[in-house]
Amino acid sequence: MTPDALNRLVAQLAKLPGIGEKTAQRLAFHVLRAPAEYARGLSAALLDVVDHVSLCPKCFSLCDKAHPQCGFCSDTRRDDKLLCVVEGIADELALERTREFKGRYHVLHGVLSPLEGVGPDQLRIRELLTRLQDTDVEEVILATNPDVEGEATALYLTRLLKPMGIKVTRLAQGIPMGGDLEFADQATLARALSARRDI
Amino acid sequence: MKLLSLSYENFRNLAQVTLEPSAHTTVAVGENGQGKTNLLEGVYFLATLKALRASKLLELVRFGQTFSRVSGRFSLGGAEREIAVEIRNGVRTAFVDGKRAQSLESYFGGVSVVAFTPDDLSVVKGSPEGRRTFLDRAVFNRFPAFLDESREYQRALKSRNRLLKDRAPFAHLSAWDATVAKVGARLWVRRRALLGELATGVVEAFSRIGRTEAPAQLLYAPERLAGVDFATASEEQLMHALAAGLDARLQRDWERGFTSVGPHVDDVELKLGEHSARAYASQGQSRALVLAWKVAEIENLQRTSGFLPLLLLDDVSSELDPERNAFLMQYLANSGAQVLLTTTDAQLVRSAAGADTRWYKVKTGLVEAVDG
Ligand SMILES: Nc1ncnc2c1ncn2[C@@H]1O[C@H](COP(=O)(O)OP(=O)(O)OP(=O)(O)O)[C@@H](O)[C@H]1O
Ligand SMILES: [Mg+2]
Ligand SMILES: [Zn+2]
Repeated sequence: MTPDALNRLVAQLAKLPGIGEKTAQRLAFHVLRAPAEYARGLSAALLDVVDHVSLCPKCFSLCDKAHPQCGFCSDTRRDDKLLCVVEGIADELALERTREFKGRYHVLHGVLSPLEGVGPDQLRIRELLTRLQDTDVEEVILATNPDVEGEATALYLTRLLKPMGIKVTRLAQGIPMGGDLEFADQATLARALSARRDI
Repeated sequence: MKLLSLSYENFRNLAQVTLEPSAHTTVAVGENGQGKTNLLEGVYFLATLKALRASKLLELVRFGQTFSRVSGRFSLGGAEREIAVEIRNGVRTAFVDGKRAQSLESYFGGVSVVAFTPDDLSVVKGSPEGRRTFLDRAVFNRFPAFLDESREYQRALKSRNRLLKDRAPFAHLSAWDATVAKVGARLWVRRRALLGELATGVVEAFSRIGRTEAPAQLLYAPERLAGVDFATASEEQLMHALAAGLDARLQRDWERGFTSVGPHVDDVELKLGEHSARAYASQGQSRALVLAWKVAEIENLQRTSGFLPLLLLDDVSSELDPERNAFLMQYLANSGAQVLLTTTDAQLVRSAAGADTRWYKVKTGLVEAVDG
């Protein structure tokens, strides 16, 4: 019989995505064997993340709760005329790693997916539209993934944005097949970004 | 391309089997229900990542097991490569030389198979769905990207149907109409391209096999496609035409809760001269027609890719009359293709065999090499 405290840790770890019971056990043993400072540091970091990180009220990227806006929104060197719409934080970070894009972001937190019951109301679309009323944004780049859900979401947004007189472009298809943006290598992404097309 | 060796682990009733196929003909002989089709199904799955007859991946995993694997060593353009596919907990993973395949292109990279089963022989008289599946297998053999494209189409279609049933707002539905139209047009273009390539080959092969004067024809034209000429329209024109079709039938689709226009409702029309083969061809003529299609498909793959596909024939001989079987066996012997044949009766396929033919006996999932 293992102590209850250990069982509780294993159970919590096993709830993480991609972590099975066995891996959870291995991780728990690792924490147990490491110096106690490691466990203290880890638990403090876990609490910090929930206490101090929230979604930016403007673009829905990750944001420090102490600040009114995220780093992308508050950075004065970024171009207000360009807005890139992404599915999730991971895609935003992938684009950011290319260091090619200097505009602002808007994170949808998902894509339209009737099969999973996700409609426009479950995404940050209303917030996007509100944000685009009387702004300097001239071009919106739709950087949703090139799968059918990403395509449909891009088309949906295009039909809402075009009548507002905003130029709408889509990332060029240079993304490897079956691959998501998050995994695309930087060179491919940079090319997709510079070869974006009107839709 | 040559298949050098094959191994199966917990695939259907094959617990642990290895085979070393001949460069030409390999024959698996066995009674009913012993595992002959399973052997071919494993190769088909390996080479296409699709099941030949199963509707669920789990059916491929041996009873009582959670893991199944088929692997093959191929000689491809002078290099030797091992490809493998595993099913673990219902999930399929493909490997090239021991590493997870990065893309379908890197996985398929030149491997191609054409399968021929007794079910195929009823395709002429059977349902439109059967003909679409038959056609799409051939399209996929020619254009491997079609695997992803048709999956995307299915997904887009299911999404649209769900929205129709849920009475979703029009703005949301129309984004999916546009997506269905886009991926649907791609399927049309692929099917059209393949059938264009096959057209003369089918006529030619049919005249070699058939005792029928009338020429064979394959015709394909989408249902209710208004305003464009399917034969010459560009992919973009087809996309607009499909979008218009979806729009025109929206009211009806809305009432019924499913999409009534698109590549998923089309049919291939097979004709002998002026007449529909479905309605008028004899049993023997329909089989000759299927045989002609397969021969045309094989020859087309050879012409377009530069090599012959691997041929899988599952107990076809017992379903053909002696004359057509003789044609097929002669064709195989002369083609130089690598062939895996199964049969319950070795006599039926003997004329396709040569000195280098390998014979295997299949019994209760065990496979052993035997003399011919
Ligand atoms: N997942 C599975 N696990 C174990 N056995 C299976 C599995 N799927 C099918 N089988 C068994 O495989 C056998 C059928 O094999 P197969 O279809 O290859 O026969 P066959 O030799 O082609 O026979 P026939 O000549 O009748 O076509 C059956 O006994 C069936 O129960
Ligand atoms: Mg069989
Ligand atoms: Zn922000």
